This record gives sequence, C-alpha cells and structure tokens, in this order.
Amino acid sequence: MRLHLLALLAKEPAHGYELKQALEQTFGSAYPSPNIGQVYVTLGRLEKDGLVRAVDVEQSNRPNKKVYYLTAKGRDHLTTWVDEPTEGPRVRDEFFMKLVLAPLTGIADRMALINRQRRHYLSLMSDLNDLLNRTSPSDRVAMLLIEGAMLHLQADLDWLERCQEDLA
Amino acid sequence: MSAVLKTVNLVKIYQDGAIPVPAVRGVDLQVEPGEFVAIMGPSGSGKSTLVHMLGGLDARTSGEIWLDGKRVDTLSESAWALLRRKKVGFVFQFFNLVANMTVGDNVELPALLAGVSPKVARERRESLLGALDLTDRADAAPAQLSGGEQQRVALARALANQPSLLLADEPTGNLDSRNTRDVLRLLGKVHKEGQSIVMVTHDARVAALADRVVSLFDGEVVDDGRIARRRRGTAGEVIDLR
Amino acid sequence: MSTALAGSRWIRADLRARKGQAVLTVLAVAGIVAALITAATLLEDGTNPWRSLSAQSDGAHVWFYTGDSPEVALGGIDGVTQIAGPYRSAPVTVAQDGKREPAALRAMPAEPARVAHPLVAEGNWLDAAQPDGVVVERSFASSLRLGVGAPFTIIALSGERHTLYVRGVADTAEHGFYPEWTPGLAYVLPEMLDRIEPMMGRSEWVTGLRLADPDAAQVVSQRVVVMLEDQLQRVYTWREVRGAMELDNRLLGTLLALFGVVGLVAAALALANAAGGRVLGQLRDLATLKSMGFTRGQITLLLVVEHGALGLLGVALGALAGWGVMAAVLGPTSVAPVPVLAIVAGTALVVLAAVGLPAWRGGRTPPIPAAPASPPRGHLSRLARLALLVRLPPALVLGTRDAFTRRVPAFLTAFGLAVPMMMITIGLGVWATLDNFLSHPEQVGQHAGLYVRPGKLEAAEARRIAERDKDVAAVYPGTDVNALAPGEARSVRVRAVGSSTQPYPFPVVEGRRYARQGEAVAGQGLLDLLGIRIGDRVRLTVGGSPLIVRIVGRTVEPDQDGVVLSVGLDSLAAKDSVPPEYYALALRPGADRAEVRGRLLAESAEGLDVQAAVNPADRLSIIRVVIVALIAVLALIGLANLLTASALGLRDHAFDLAVLKAMGLTPRQVMATLVTGTGLLVVLGVGAGAAAGASVVTGLIDLQGHTSGVGAGIGRPPSPLTLAVAVVIAVGTALAVALIPARRAARAQVPVTAR
Repeated sequence: MRLHLLALLAKEPAHGYELKQALEQTFGSAYPSPNIGQVYVTLGRLEKDGLVRAVDVEQSNRPNKKVYYLTAKGRDHLTTWVDEPTEGPRVRDEFFMKLVLAPLTGIADRMALINRQRRHYLSLMSDLNDLLNRTSPSDRVAMLLIEGAMLHLQADLDWLERCQEDLA
Repeated sequence: MSAVLKTVNLVKIYQDGAIPVPAVRGVDLQVEPGEFVAIMGPSGSGKSTLVHMLGGLDARTSGEIWLDGKRVDTLSESAWALLRRKKVGFVFQFFNLVANMTVGDNVELPALLAGVSPKVARERRESLLGALDLTDRADAAPAQLSGGEQQRVALARALANQPSLLLADEPTGNLDSRNTRDVLRLLGKVHKEGQSIVMVTHDARVAALADRVVSLFDGEVVDDGRIARRRRGTAGEVIDLR
Repeated sequence: MSTALAGSRWIRADLRARKGQAVLTVLAVAGIVAALITAATLLEDGTNPWRSLSAQSDGAHVWFYTGDSPEVALGGIDGVTQIAGPYRSAPVTVAQDGKREPAALRAMPAEPARVAHPLVAEGNWLDAAQPDGVVVERSFASSLRLGVGAPFTIIALSGERHTLYVRGVADTAEHGFYPEWTPGLAYVLPEMLDRIEPMMGRSEWVTGLRLADPDAAQVVSQRVVVMLEDQLQRVYTWREVRGAMELDNRLLGTLLALFGVVGLVAAALALANAAGGRVLGQLRDLATLKSMGFTRGQITLLLVVEHGALGLLGVALGALAGWGVMAAVLGPTSVAPVPVLAIVAGTALVVLAAVGLPAWRGGRTPPIPAAPASPPRGHLSRLARLALLVRLPPALVLGTRDAFTRRVPAFLTAFGLAVPMMMITIGLGVWATLDNFLSHPEQVGQHAGLYVRPGKLEAAEARRIAERDKDVAAVYPGTDVNALAPGEARSVRVRAVGSSTQPYPFPVVEGRRYARQGEAVAGQGLLDLLGIRIGDRVRLTVGGSPLIVRIVGRTVEPDQDGVVLSVGLDSLAAKDSVPPEYYALALRPGADRAEVRGRLLAESAEGLDVQAAVNPADRLSIIRVVIVALIAVLALIGLANLLTASALGLRDHAFDLAVLKAMGLTPRQVMATLVTGTGLLVVLGVGAGAAAGASVVTGLIDLQGHTSGVGAGIGRPPSPLTLAVAVVIAVGTALAVALIPARRAARAQVPVTAR
C-alpha cells in the first residue's frame, strides 16, 4: 500500500483518514477497503524512510491531526516505480509443474488434470460473470479489473487447449 | 421429465475422396429441459459438426438422435425442415440474417413459416423486438446494424417459435467484447426463462454461462461436467482470492 | 399456406433488393416476345394479305358471276349470313400509256356496302357529286401507275372511249393482285356503268356471300352451282383469292421459326444465367432459410416462382406490347391469334424450363450456412499456364485464370454469346443469299433480264428488233403452257424456252441442261410433286397432245413453288410453240434494263410489250426487316447475358480485388484483369458462334430451299469480310460493356472483410 499512498500524496497533502477515503473512492469495489490502522502504520513506515513528512495541524476542540506530504525523496521513489515496466503474469505456475510432473509419478494422467483445471477456470469465469453482472457499469475501475481478469482466464483456457493438443 | 435431447453413439464420417475422415466418433449426450450446455474443444474437434447434426443440417453417419422423446435421426431432409420450424432454433457465427429482408421481417419470417396467423406473427415480432430494444430498427436492413445487434436479431429469430431447443454455433465468434456482452446478457436471460440451449463456443466467458460444459477432443467427449459456482463478494475479494 | 406467406415475404424482399436486375430480365423477355410477335404478324401480313384485308372489309367468302341478276333466295342457303351485291360488272379495256389492259368495271353505290366493302387506301370512295369518278383496285392502279386525280380512259366493247378520273384507290379481299389476277378491277357508280355499257347482255352480275363459317365455302359454292345451274358463269371461294395473294411464305416461315426457336433458346440462356447468378449469390440466404425450416422442395418452388414470375411477366408485357404495336400499325384485327398464342405458350414454357434448373440447384443448397461463400480458387488453368509461358503481362495471366475458375458459368457465358452470334451469322447468310439473288440473277434462273411479247407486231419482227439492240446478248424464244400431269388434279407449268441447239442457260445444280428434244429440267417442287428423280421419264398432256420428256437435271426454280418443267421450245408440239409467246432477252453485263426496255419500246413504236423479270429477292425483301429486327434482339440478349456474367464475376472477385491491389496492381491492371476474364469468354463464344453459324448457314438455306421447292444450291455464307466485321463489332461491344463494371470495380475501395 506504500506506493498507493505516495501516489495519493503526490496530488496533495492529506491526513490518514482522508487517504483511506481517497483509496476507496479511486478503486471502488475493485480493491478491498483498507482499515485505518493499516493506513497509519504504513504512513509511519514511510515517514521513517524519509519519503513523507508529517506536520501537526491544530484543531479547535479536537486533538491535533497529522497532515502528511511527499518529500523530494518520496517523489523520486514514486517516479522510479511508475517508470519501470511491470512484470507480466507468471507462466511457470503450479499447474504447469503438475502437468509436467504428474504423469511421471503415475498419480494422475494429463487429460484428467487438464479437464479438472478447465472446469476450475470455467467456474472462476462464471464467478467473474456473476460479479460483472452485479457491478454497476459506472464503476469503471472495477469493470476494467474484472475484464482484465476474464481475459487472463481466457488466455489460461486457450493455453490449456494448447497443452491438451500437444501433450495428450 | 425426459431429456430434451439425447444422442446415442453418434458418428459422423466425411468422405474425402477414398479416405474416410471421422469428425464425430461416438458421442453420447443428454440435455435436460432448461439445461444450458456448452460444447468446447479445439478447432477441428467436431463441435460444429455435432451441433449441425443435432439440428438436422447435416446427416449423421450412424447413431441415434432423440428430440423431445422422438427419434429424429432417421428423418428425411424435408421432415427435418418441418421439425426445425417448431422445435429447433439456430444461431450461427455469421448471424445469417436474410440480407434483403428488414430486421422486422427477419424476425417475423419463422413465425409465418410455422403457420401462425399474420396478426399473431406481427405481435410476436413486436414483442421480440421490444425485448431486444430494437423496435426502432425494425425497418433497417441487417447490414445497417452492428454485429451485436445482428446477432441479437438472429437470436430473436431463432426464439420466435419458442423452440424446445436452441442450437448455437459460435454465436459470439465474430463479435467484439462489447457486443459479446450484449449477446451474453440476452442468452443468460432466455436461459433463466427456461430455454434449453446447446452451444458450441470457444469463448470461456460464454461457456461460463452454461450449466454444463462438454469438452470434445478429436470427435470424442473427453469431459462432461457441471460448472461450480461458489464465490460471492466484491471485485476486489473475488479476484484477490485467485 | 404458411410457407406461401413466408415465401412471398422473402420473394418480395429479394425483388426489392435487386429492382434493376429484375427489370432488365423482364424487359429482355418482353423484348424477345414482342419481337417474335411483331415479326410473325408482319410476315403473316406481308405474305398473306388476304386475312387482314378480309377481316377489315368484312369480306365475302364465296363469289359468283351470273348472266342476269340472280333471282334465287340465296339467303336461304345454310351458313350464309350476308349477301354482297349483286353488282353489275362490265368488261372494258383501259388504255394507259399506250398499253391496253383488260378491266372489269363494277357498279357500286355511293354509300359503302355493309359486306365486302372495298377499303379505300388513298383518296375517297365514289360520290354521286362526281359521276365520272372511279375507284381503282390498288394492285391494278399501281400496275398502271395511276394516282388519285389521274385520268382513266376506258374503251367499251362498243369501241366508244370514256374518260373517268381516279377518285380513290382501294383494297379488296375478293380479288387477287393484278396482273396475276385479270382482269383488273375498278368501281364506278351504277349510272355511269349504264352510260358506258347500256347493253345488259354484255355485262354480268357479281354476288358475294358472307358465311358464318369460312370452312363451309366449298359446300356453299356447290349449293350455288346446283341452284343457279346454267345461269352461273363462274364461282370461286376465298381460298382461291388467298392463294393468289399469298407469297411463297414457307421460306419466310421456316426462317422465322428458326430465329424464333433460337431466340427462345437465347432468352432461356439469359434467364437461366440471370437466375443462376442470383441463386449463386443467395446461397447463404437459402441455407439460412433451410435452417429455419424451409424444405428443399419449397426452396426450389420459391425460386421457380420468383424467377418464373419475372419471366412470365416479361412474356405478358411482350405479348401486350407486340399485340398493341401491331394493332396500332396494321389495325386491330390484323394480329392472327394462333401464332401469338403459340409464341406466348412457347416462351412461357421455355421460361419455366430455364428457371427450373437453377432453382433445383438452389434447392439442393446444404442447410449449413458456411462462412461467406468464397469462390474456388487456386489452380491455374492450362490456358493460364500457357499465358505465363509466353510471358504475357500479369493482368492477362490473372484474367485468363479467372475466366475458367468456375467452369459451368464460364461455359454458360460463352454459350450464351455463341448462340446469338450463330443466329446473327445465319441471318447474315440469308442476307448474303438475297444479295446473291440480286447480283447474280442467272444463278436463280433469271438469266434473262427482259421478256418481250410481240404485242401488235409479228413474232419474227419482234425478234429482229430485240436482236438488233446492242445490249442484248442473246434472244431465247419461249412459251409458257400449262400441262396436266397424270394422276394430279392440278396443272403444272411447262416453260419452253430456248431450243436444243441454243438451250436457255438454266442454273442446273444437279444433272445437266437439256440438250436434245425430249429432254427437260425440272424444279425441286415438280420432282417432289410427281415423286420422280433425275433420269425418270414423265408424260404430261399439253392442250390434249402428249408431252413425254426425260428429266436430265434439276434447276434452281424460284417460281411457282418450283413446280415448273423447263424444256426446249422444240420439244413442244408446233401448235403450242409457233409462234413463240415471248422472247427472253439475256442482256450484256452492265446493261441497264430500263434503258434497254425504253429503246425496244421506241424502236417498235410502242408495239412491243416489254417486261422486266421480277427478282425473287424483291419479293423476299421483308426478310431483311425481320433479319435486322432479330439481330437487334439477339444482340440485346447477348448483352444481357454478358452483363449477368460480369456481375457474377465481380461478385466472385470482390475479395480478390483487394488482395490484388494490396499486392501492388494498379487500378488499370485490375481493370485489365477483369476485362481479360470476360473478354476471353466473349472471344470464345463469339468465335464459336460465328464458326458454327457459317458452317451451317448454307446447309440450312439449302434445306429450306429444298422444302420450298426452289431447290438446294442457293445458299451463300456471309462474306468473310462481313463475318469478320460482325465478329469484331460483337467482341468490341462486349468488351466495352465489360469495361464499365470493371472500371467501377477497379476504382472502388474494396473492404477486406468477410461481410
């Protein structure tokens, strides 16, 4: 969550609760709602690393609140993160290991593995379908997230088919 | 209640010159009323041939096909045609709307063919187009519609006579993801209303709508099972759980 | 019922989507039918004028002449509906331009008769206000070169001269054409006739009977003979009149039938091509209909109904148009119903047959709607390989490949052009044959250009005058007599001309000319009539004396349906041959007949009767009109075929074109490719058609000549030059037509999508 908070602070200084709200607003249902404690712990670590700095702001009839802002070092850190390419999905996953190794052990044949995996993927897909239907179309970020997941799943299924054609 | 569709050891062998090319080799399939079955498999696995045989568009080489408790594989081409009018609806990858007829006429045609009075056919057309949200496009030519709209019209046409069985061959194979979503929504809706569907598809999203997935490989059924539905939750939760 | 409704919906939508093509189909069929009806009616009218004349004049069917006005209840005879006359008729001689022609003056009232009223063609009918007016029968008037207002001088039997003035020229259905039918006929008011010929004994009475059933004419005339007995001078029926008016129309009839049949075949091809092309384009829709529950039979029926309806609509429109045009031009009764009905029925059948095959093919479409139909492609035809071998430009090679990708349509296209082209060649051959008649009359038995009858002069004097003329090459004495053949009710013409020492140069096509007394040559008609062959002996009776001759050759004989026996004058008995009736003059090449005729008349002080030979081609000139009309229709059919073919070709190529362009072909090259594709088929079809036509044309005309009695040996193929020009024009037009869609296609942006 470190970089999410840095990114939000790059826009404008904010205190902890504001950050939690901004997170919820930006990601909608696509991101599980963070609890406030977690936000403060992360902010504390960031402050210790010198990426943010906190300033106390006095409030009448309430305790002072801490407003955080990004330091120059924090901005550099954020820039580096955004600029570097993100790793693609892992292909050498567990299922692949099973598929290659299972026949050697004699525990299961590949076709059964593939079939089971396909059903699993389809059931995931079915869940995503349900999810998509339940998600309001105005929730753009959630929609994109779901569609991304579906496309990954479709790719996994296609790959499963290739495995079946070549290994079976 | 008996199965809507049942096949027993269904076989199709094409003759390529002197060499017999088996496309479907002994498929046993049973579809219960209201069930939605997706048929998947790599290209060349015989899925299209199978669904064509189920609708009588292609003759089987051997085996049996039972539709609504009646054996139909022995029917002549003409008898099949008569049967299709009332019992089988077809949806294809390339929509196959009659290019010269308006959208409305395309939807009305099967009803007329089934012997419904012109008045009833007109009413049915109106209600179907209304349900598709295409009432204002009734007088347009199919070519003026987007792919998704065309496929929705094709679906409406296939459902016009309330067939016992809806057969679909890659209905979203030629659509982009947005149009696919439209067609999916419609398919899901008719399925909920109790329509039995057998659909060939490549698209996991479409297949995931089905109750059951049948996997064909090399003309044989290699897997046949229900799709489990388990998870509920927000996008963040479902996807994180993966 | 339900399918009919659904089917009609589909047909309507399909027709709406291709209005232009549908209209073209209808028009093509309509054009053919209209042309056929027009040609048939024109022919009928031109060769058999009696029918329409009789219908227009409410003509009588039986005519008889009596000494006195018949005092019998003629109306009582069964089947007689109306009676014309009796009219008084007196023989006179008409003196015109120094010639004297026999004529009959007929007294008729000023108010037109209800039955058998002459049809005034020019001027007016008789009027009491102009007592010296005369109305002359048309063929008589034209023979005498009389126009309205001209003086008409007659000499009565008493020798008295009267001058009347031509008030009108009229057609009649009771009288054959002058001079074949003499005397000539003229009408005057009764008072005038009384003045010209006061002696009742010198005149006779003419009565016409109109019958309910024309076929009863024979029976009725028998009754008249019995009732009137010795009062009756002669009687004849409409059949004789019709026979006298009739030209030999068998040649025309057969030609027309041939053109008609081939026109129909071409029309059928055009329809089959159009329907076939349409079906090919509709395969996906047909498959869809099947998947919705149309049966094979219903699809076939649907297509037959759709395309057949277009054809039948064309037939109906064409029949209406043809009928309408003919009725407008020749009068409402001029159209003979039988040939029209035959044409309509024939074309309707052909239409349905032509549509049947593509419909059946359409019905057999498999119900699986595959991906958008793609044409078969890939293999280079042998011709294309050859083209590559000789390093032709790529556009030509590709075009060559395209031309034969679809074999059946390629064949149909070529064939669809070959058939009209063959007929056009045959038409040109007929034309060339007619030209040959004109330029080489000696080849059709018209060696002599002029016939001289002694008239007022002695025969020997006439001969001397003729021989003296510088342009006369030879003079052949001749006499025409009628002879009776054994066992034949009819007489045959014996033409005795030339002699065994100086034989008339008949165009003998089989055997040889007569060389001795007792040898003869005959026309095909005579050989067929008597059932004899060259080398046989025949025995005829001429005026009581026998004539026994051996047939040594067959001539081309355009007269009398070929029922003519030609002998030397010395073969006839002297009583028949001396003095000769006429002299046939063969002129030197390049001599002008009219000039020679004028000189001969001047030389003999108008004493000779000089006539120019009538060339059969002149009588057949109506064929030329028919040929031109039919060539036009055939050319249209060919073009319609071509348009269908190139539309089909373009449909097949829509996809390829984009690829070709992507590969770097310029629009010009794309165009060249398309034009080459069609052009090759055009050249093939036109070439094959011309070759086939040229090879059968002489045979066909000779066959026709044989059946019409003229005899084989007249047919001429079109000259190589004419043929070459026709082929070049046909190919050029076809290419120009193919160019239009090709250009549009080459320029158009072709989307690279699967529909």
